[in-house]
Amino acid sequence: MASARDYRRADHLPNLRSDGRPAPPGDLPRQRNGVTPQMRGRYPDYNVLEQADHWDPVTRRMVFERARTVPDVRFFTAPEARTLGVFCDLVLAQDAEPKIPVLNMVDAKLFAGELDGFRYADLPDDRETWRRVAVGLDAASRQHGAVDFVNASEDVRERVVEAFAEGTLHGEVWDDLPPARAWKVVTRAMLSAFYSHPWAWNEIGFGGPAYPRGYARIGAGQREKWEGAEAFALDPVKDTQQRRVQGS
Amino acid sequence: MSRRHELRTLLRGALRPPDNDSAFLLDVHRRAVPRERMARYDDDYPVDLVIVGAGAGGGTLAQRLARRGWKVVVLESGPFWDPDEDWVSDEAGSHRLYWTEERIIGGSDPVELGKNNCGHGVGGSMVHYAGYCPRFHPSDFEVRTRDGVGEDWPISYEDLKPHYERLELELPVAGDYWPWGDPHRYPHTAHPIAGGADAAREGARKLGIEMRVGPVGITNGAFGNRPHCIYRGFCLQGCKVNAKASPLVTHIPDAIEHGAEIRADCMAMDIEVDESSGRVTGVHYMSDGRERFQRAEAVAVAGYSIETPRLLLNSISRRFPHGLANNNDQVGRCVMVQGAPQVAGRFPEEMRMYKAPPPEISSEQFYETEERRGFARGFSIQTVGPLPIEHAQHVLGHGHWGQALREYMRDYNHWYTLGILSELLPLPDNRVTVVPSVTDRNGIPVARMDYSQCDNDRKNIAFAKQTLHNIFEASGAQDVLVTDRYAHLVGGCRMGSDAERSVVDSDHRAWDVPNLFIADGSVMPTQGSANPALTIMALASRLADRLDLKRADESGARQRRRPRRRPRPAPTQAGAG
Repeated sequence: MASARDYRRADHLPNLRSDGRPAPPGDLPRQRNGVTPQMRGRYPDYNVLEQADHWDPVTRRMVFERARTVPDVRFFTAPEARTLGVFCDLVLAQDAEPKIPVLNMVDAKLFAGELDGFRYADLPDDRETWRRVAVGLDAASRQHGAVDFVNASEDVRERVVEAFAEGTLHGEVWDDLPPARAWKVVTRAMLSAFYSHPWAWNEIGFGGPAYPRGYARIGAGQREKWEGAEAFALDPVKDTQQRRVQGS
Repeated sequence: MSRRHELRTLLRGALRPPDNDSAFLLDVHRRAVPRERMARYDDDYPVDLVIVGAGAGGGTLAQRLARRGWKVVVLESGPFWDPDEDWVSDEAGSHRLYWTEERIIGGSDPVELGKNNCGHGVGGSMVHYAGYCPRFHPSDFEVRTRDGVGEDWPISYEDLKPHYERLELELPVAGDYWPWGDPHRYPHTAHPIAGGADAAREGARKLGIEMRVGPVGITNGAFGNRPHCIYRGFCLQGCKVNAKASPLVTHIPDAIEHGAEIRADCMAMDIEVDESSGRVTGVHYMSDGRERFQRAEAVAVAGYSIETPRLLLNSISRRFPHGLANNNDQVGRCVMVQGAPQVAGRFPEEMRMYKAPPPEISSEQFYETEERRGFARGFSIQTVGPLPIEHAQHVLGHGHWGQALREYMRDYNHWYTLGILSELLPLPDNRVTVVPSVTDRNGIPVARMDYSQCDNDRKNIAFAKQTLHNIFEASGAQDVLVTDRYAHLVGGCRMGSDAERSVVDSDHRAWDVPNLFIADGSVMPTQGSANPALTIMALASRLADRLDLKRADESGARQRRRPRRRPRPAPTQAGAG
């Protein structure tokens, strides 16, 4: 049993830990109300969707649509979708259900041709960049002796993504596709999908849409009455059982 | 500060701004701008002025000249927004506020465009700017003389000062007494600030750095029919409240009331030149898939630092084979962005930085050159308040992905973020060009922007980042995350006193074309470390004075031949638009 976290301290943060890795997420409480990705989070009793009556109708429709829909994959081919799905899960640490369907959301955006208004001179447009990244992940995995990215060991996949993030991939596709730039393109779309999803808002305790209600309590340590309270890491039921606390 | 203006600001928001009824023309029961009575001009009718772009420059210019009886048509590529229906309290859902058509970015330090710095639609980028409205400092207009870098402006701070004062009443701007640059007061009282800003201000104070609240173009108290800010924190997604200033609510309603036509969803394609006289005769544009041509006595381009050069470079004629007003190869050069790294600090208490407007406090203490820092010019310090997607990009920019990214994001509510605006210098090779081989859906070549930093730029950004780091350390932050980015866009068609080194003269008139004007941020020769919105508006406001003065002179000379213009146009039959 891991020890409870005290969020006034910051020793769960990677920069402040000797190994540079975050505290294991298994320590976090399970979500008791609403959904979070992987059902863990800091705010186990907070479900942002319960506030929807206070949102303007246009925003409400859009957010519910997003929470409800898992768009079909129409842009990527099946093999591309498999490779990139595994890649998205790794970059966003989605290691269990329920998962925010990031790849489907990205696919929908690319299928609709919704681009962001710029492309790097040394990259093709975002749609083509995504496809080449799929090829490039397989190529990089083969350099480590794996058949492809999907079938590579966890360790190889991690090393490939690490090299991608650091911009050090090379060979084959990567000789024409600057990895540091391509990393920016794909992560921009992934983060935009993941943190636009109300499940992610539950996980991080974000207040969500706020029109027309607005906010009144803006000082340090303050929250609105309806905003989620940060929980400590222990599951109260398990905790009392394990410590054999006698209660009424 | 002029004495009259000083007295006025003492009265805070109690007086309505002179000669601009926009806030009172808005509807109490809906956010959309009433335009049932908007004038419509036929394409064939030679209006006094066609303005391309309804943003900070174009919107202000239209209002000023419509008030003086000019017949004005504004062509705007984007929609006429209805904040109730078109905007959402949502980050990803605000994608349509940005310029998302294809553009190419190059150079050794490419600048990401889109949501970062490019808007479209009536109101322009000010629809999704944070709201900071600082003035430029007097030193900004003579950096070549004072600091030996950049370029002097052909006008001085004093030329813009009355326009700054007037615009601050019109937006209106809220903030503390401002001790930097030319010291001045603001018409609206400073807004309350959130916990994070409080902590950062205290940390800065310990280091001898003064931070003040504001200046923001956000109403503090009701202003006409615009309500008080509700501190919901979605300023960058378009203000559904109508509390934040953008030309859509500050100038467009009054422009419409005085006979201007704002023609939305019209993409300008090229400006026509009369080959014999060398004067421009109007603008070709696409509307509903149909090509149209609006005749005009004069044209003002206000498409911002990328689309303005693009339109000129795509306007080819025998007289201007390399693009309109580009016979000296100056169009598109010296485009600038500000270095805008962000530093986030972690606090024991929850700060919930998504609340309150992102722009809270700022400091201009480092604005001018100080020799011991080892570089010319300076930077300003501001607050940012990123929402989850933006903060996730910040965390990833620092190098965290996977479980580390998720852990930092679960910690979101404990963070607060400061940002820098570093004055980067104008460099001729930082430029906008067009790419003939890549065209948009109308078949018009797209823009390419190349950007590379110089040594002075890098030193400035590094020093500024360290300063923010120190502030967070002094405010008791437990961890710090740093990410690099850029903000704003200016330059690209700069004003100057020498045709060889500029595109327009001090009256914004193209050197080789007597009736072509540029009315946006692209005329700026340098950028200071202030957010450009207020200065773009002030330039447009001054331009209106100059144009009207010039026309008064001309019509004085021609009075016997021409009847006086009526102050209000008789609306003609609508074409479309």
